[in-house]
Amino acid sequence: MNSLATLRVLVEMAIRDLGAHWVKSLIVGSLLAFGTFLVVTGGALLDSISTSMEESITSSLAGHLQVYSADAEDSLELFGGTGMGSADLGEIDEWGPVRDTILGIEHVEHAVPMGITQAVVFGRSEIDRVLEALGEAVDEGDVGRQQALLGHVRTIAATLREEVESRSITSSDPERAAEDLAAIEEVMSADFDARLAEDPGEALIFLDTRIAPLAQDGQLYYLRCIGTDLDEFSEVFDRFRIVDGQMIPEGRRGLLLSKRFYEIWGKMTIARNLDAFEDRIEEGKRIAGDATFENLVKANAAQYQRILFQLEPGEVGPLMTTLKGVMGTAAPDSEAPEEILEAFLLVDDDTFAARYAAFYEHIAPLITIYELPVGGVITLRGFTKSGYMRALNVRIWGTYEFSGLEKSDLAGASNLVDLVTFRDLYGKMSAAQQAELEDIRVEAGIADVSRDDAEAALFGEGGLFGSQERTVEEPEEEELVEEEELDEAVSLSLIDDRVYSKAEMVEGMVLNAAVILDDPVHMPAVTAEIESLAESEGLGLQVVDWQTAAGIVGQLTYVLRGVLLVAIFVIFLVTLVIINNTMVMATMDRTTEIGTMRAIGAQRRFVIVLFLLETVILGLISGAIGGGLAIAFVGWLGHVGVPAVQDILVLLFAGPRLYPTLSLGNLLTGVVVVTAISLLSTLYPSVLAARVPPVVAMRGKE
Amino acid sequence: MANPSPGPSAEPSAPIVSLCDVVKDYPLGKLTVRAIRGVDLDIQAGEFTVIAGPSGSGKTTLLNMIGCIDTATSGTVLVGGQDTAKLSDRKLTQLRLDTLGFIFQSFNLVNVLDAFQNVQFPLLLQGTYSAAERKDMVEGLLQRVGLGDQIHKRPNELSGGQRQRVAIARALVTTPRIVLADEPTANLDSKTGNDIVDLMRELNRDEGTTFIFSTHDQNVIDRADRIVRIVDGLIADDTAQQRVQDAGA
Repeated sequence: MNSLATLRVLVEMAIRDLGAHWVKSLIVGSLLAFGTFLVVTGGALLDSISTSMEESITSSLAGHLQVYSADAEDSLELFGGTGMGSADLGEIDEWGPVRDTILGIEHVEHAVPMGITQAVVFGRSEIDRVLEALGEAVDEGDVGRQQALLGHVRTIAATLREEVESRSITSSDPERAAEDLAAIEEVMSADFDARLAEDPGEALIFLDTRIAPLAQDGQLYYLRCIGTDLDEFSEVFDRFRIVDGQMIPEGRRGLLLSKRFYEIWGKMTIARNLDAFEDRIEEGKRIAGDATFENLVKANAAQYQRILFQLEPGEVGPLMTTLKGVMGTAAPDSEAPEEILEAFLLVDDDTFAARYAAFYEHIAPLITIYELPVGGVITLRGFTKSGYMRALNVRIWGTYEFSGLEKSDLAGASNLVDLVTFRDLYGKMSAAQQAELEDIRVEAGIADVSRDDAEAALFGEGGLFGSQERTVEEPEEEELVEEEELDEAVSLSLIDDRVYSKAEMVEGMVLNAAVILDDPVHMPAVTAEIESLAESEGLGLQVVDWQTAAGIVGQLTYVLRGVLLVAIFVIFLVTLVIINNTMVMATMDRTTEIGTMRAIGAQRRFVIVLFLLETVILGLISGAIGGGLAIAFVGWLGHVGVPAVQDILVLLFAGPRLYPTLSLGNLLTGVVVVTAISLLSTLYPSVLAARVPPVVAMRGKE
Repeated sequence: MANPSPGPSAEPSAPIVSLCDVVKDYPLGKLTVRAIRGVDLDIQAGEFTVIAGPSGSGKTTLLNMIGCIDTATSGTVLVGGQDTAKLSDRKLTQLRLDTLGFIFQSFNLVNVLDAFQNVQFPLLLQGTYSAAERKDMVEGLLQRVGLGDQIHKRPNELSGGQRQRVAIARALVTTPRIVLADEPTANLDSKTGNDIVDLMRELNRDEGTTFIFSTHDQNVIDRADRIVRIVDGLIADDTAQQRVQDAGA
């Protein structure tokens, strides 16, 4: 039984049995081959995704490790969490000592301070722009343009009327609603032309104060801002690059918009829509026959007014001539700019390319394409930690992106600011600012009333109830309102163009920091080191790895791995059952043969080994085929790449395509799994076979 | 296995097979059928014995118990002096491998193995001989049964008679003390059947191997040394007893 010759005969018998029952072998073999293919391919893809995701996350924002305050109430989610609002990450009050401690640890190469905060920018509403244009037309005395713009004001007023009417039904202030409606009627009436002609100033003020506030369509931009040491940041994260404009000069304050944000949220609607159409067409979609796409085109064309009211009167004529030239025979007979523009924007599959190019060549230079333009100054409003809003003028120096992650909304979710600006938005004031605020306070005659004295200050000595023990509603709210107004006064005054020293920029409060190591294998050791140092030096820090710091994104590979595991498990469960059943059937068919072997002296374990060997050999052959196919498939994928069809995939793939590679480990896993499955699925049938009594040999009839 | 080969003339000592009051019941649905109803039977080494009887008389059941592939409901079965009821499955299997050879009605060759490999099979299970020894033994036996030129044919390439010859070679390759044959000629024409029986007689004479047949083929019965007739699970007639009686008379 132990000799090599026996094993040889067993193997030979097993192989011949496989051939003799080839239908069974084919079914079982195909299943095993498919299973191996799945395990190897899936494993290779997941490993590649893990690697690329690690690359894209560690090389964009996270670094290898992130440290933040041990007092944090929420966990750090660098790429944005699931909920709105800003998380409470606690604060690292003084970056300097923390940085020095971290940089002192072996294998740490860099530590980049960061702070995440939210800010909003109020965009102008359409009526604001029209009124601005109307003001210009009045100044220039261009009556024709005034008429055209007034017409546009009335178009907007008509939609406002509907809104106000529906609002008046539920309004708690019906009188106010009635006044608003009256104001709209006033504008709609023919008398208003005369009013504009007679006293344009008065008419404009009326429009500005009575009509414009009714419109609520001013765009609100939510900016996720990460404050950081930008010089360090751009050096450490080598995927970072400036796309438009320039890097914030050293020591200067400012904002770098994410290119993705800039293109998608910061762009004028019609241009953004055309960009989206271009993407769709590039993906191979056609306008004709696609009802959704056709409607999108129509809806976009209907917004031609957005272009028209931005045009100078002298520009309209030549532009229309140009556009008609581009349209050729498709151009409408009409000379009305409205009709020409709408017709121009009503693109189809044949005309899109030419008109898309013409839009950027002829129209874009005449209008504002970007609401938040590079080089411009915008007012950021931050929701500070104490709950009030703080406004701050910031220059947009440029846009940036992480190379390879251009198309990822997640990677493009954050805009970058310097640390001083971050601290302002976050609500931490510098000593100088506090002094400035104090000056204004004194000027404005506001006493600095502490909370303890507030009661006395407000209600006079002894208070309302004459008892200090009594709890009184705190007048904090009132104080805050005043402070907010002051703050606006401070911040809106000017743009801060001062050149800051490195220390001024970097030292001070930060929320978190990226730690970059010379080799990620040292992550656990460095984590432990930082934790123990934070403990002994009382720095109050906690450390997380990049995967945790990336929040829900970082967990995605776990989720994917889980899904793959479940899929493999299910497939193998099915395979197991099928192989088991097939083998049980085969055993039934072969009872005479088994009985004979048992009768002439084969022990039970011989039969078991024979059966197990059959499936293991089949498993190895099928595994080799499945593995071979997987090698070929992954090799092919590695050549052509897997397109990142969804935004999240761009981040996972660290680029627009994933070029997966296969490791020996993936193959070994496949071999181990397929062997285990073969053995497991044949265990019961082989035991069943071993139980065949030798006496059945006597009953056998050929 | 080096069994002492008792010559045909050897004085009958301890019987090689000994059945004592053997009863065998079979469940048949809810009923129990008593196939063997109390059999006493001794078979001496070197005998060429036929167990004859009509279908369903219990002759195969008797053979199965002698062959250690079935157990008695009661009574004792001694094979080579060992009480088969007291042996584990492992020991019984080993006993079959070393002491017994089987020839089946349907030949029962392993279809995926060729003639050589089929004959070699029990030797591999024993694991005693080297490859060269096995080759000599197997080829020698195949020559002996007249298949010297067919050794690498698969069973489906051989005729019925040739297959049974392979089966005989397989049964004899371990030089067992007892060869059991269950209706070995039933699936063969009478000419081939006669040849097969002749071959077995020859081996019995030359090697002193004990042959026990179950058959109702008159040709086979005619050539036996001893005929044990079974009817309804009982021994109706045993020529050995007659000889004893004749000798006594």
